[in-house]
Amino acid sequence: MRIRGRGAVLAALAAGLALTGCTPASASDVRAAAQRFQTAVRDHDEQAACAMLSDEARSSLEATSARKCPAALTALRLPADRPSNVQVWGNNAQARLAGGALFLAEFRSGWKITGAGCRPRPDQPYACAVRS
Amino acid sequence: MKRFVIENSLSLFFGVILILALAGQAGTGLAEFNQQQLAAGLQPTSLGGYLLSSDFAVDVAENWQSEFLQFLLYIYATVWLLQRGSSESKELGESGPGSDQDQLLGAYATDRSPAWAREGGWRLAIYSRSLVLVMGTIFGLSWLAQSIAGHASYNAQQLSQYEDPVSWWGYVSSSDFWNRTLQNWQSEFLAVACMAVFAIYLRQRGSPESKPVGAPHDSTGDEG
Repeated sequence: MRIRGRGAVLAALAAGLALTGCTPASASDVRAAAQRFQTAVRDHDEQAACAMLSDEARSSLEATSARKCPAALTALRLPADRPSNVQVWGNNAQARLAGGALFLAEFRSGWKITGAGCRPRPDQPYACAVRS
Repeated sequence: MKRFVIENSLSLFFGVILILALAGQAGTGLAEFNQQQLAAGLQPTSLGGYLLSSDFAVDVAENWQSEFLQFLLYIYATVWLLQRGSSESKELGESGPGSDQDQLLGAYATDRSPAWAREGGWRLAIYSRSLVLVMGTIFGLSWLAQSIAGHASYNAQQLSQYEDPVSWWGYVSSSDFWNRTLQNWQSEFLAVACMAVFAIYLRQRGSPESKPVGAPHDSTGDEG
C-alpha cells in the first residue's frame, strides 16, 4: 500500500474512533480500575476503595452517611463480584457485575468510580448505594 | 490573484464564513460541554479534546446532513415540479429532464462541453445526474456520521446519568436521533418553501436568485 493510501486509512480510522469516542486502551484501563475497586471491596480494604471513588462520589457518601468514607463503605457491604462486560463511551464507562454495575468516569488522575453498588430498575436509572 | 478572488468571490466568501462559524461553534460548544461536565461532578475537557469528541461531531454532522438533503431534494424536485411566478422554477410546461438541444447533448454538444457530456453512454448517464449523486452521497455519509457520533454521545450521557447504554440500532430507533434529524429537516424545508414563494412577489436587484425588479409576479423562471 502506498504511504499516501496508508495515511488516508489511518486518518479514516482516527475519525471513526473520534466519532465513537472510544479507544481499545480505554476499555482495558476501565476494566483494570473496576477490578482494583472490586478487589479492595472483597479484601475489606475500604481505604483503598475510597481512594478510587471520584471526589464527588466520596463527598456525597460522607454527607449522606455522616461518616468518613471507609466507615461508610464498611456499613454498605457492597457486592464484591468480578466485573464482566465493560463499555466505554467518551469519558464515561460501565462495568457490569452479577446483578448490578459500577459506573466510572475519566479524570486527570485516571478512571474513578462515580457509582457503586448500583442495582438496575425497570425504566429508571440504576439505584446506586454510592453516587455523585 | 486579484482576478482569481473576484471571479471566485462567492465560494471564497462562504468558505471563510463557514470556517468562522465552525470556530465559533467549537468555542461555544466547548463552554457548554464543560459547564455540563462540572455540573455532573466530572472533569472539563480541552478544546482539542472537545474537537475530537462525539458531542462536537454529532452537532456538526446533524446540520450538514440536513443541508445536503435540502439541496438534494431541491435540485431533483425542480426537474419535475413547478411554481408559477417563482424565479426558482422552470417555466410552466417545461417539467422534466429537458431535450438534448436544451441540454447541449448529442449533436448539440460543443467542443467546450465537458468530456463526459460529449462521450455518451454510461458516462453521460452518470454525469447527467452527478450533482444529485454527489449531494445524495454526502447526505448519506453525514447522516451516517450523525448516527454514529450521536450514538456515542447519547451513550456517554446515559452512563453519566446511571443508565444503560443502547445499541446503534436502538439509537437510530430512538426519539433522540429522530428529534435531532427532524428538527433540522423542518427548517431546511421551510427555507426552500419560503424561497420558492417569496421569489414570486419579492425582488433583490442584481441577484440571479431573484426575478428582474420590474418582472411581473406571474412570470415564471426569470432570473435577475
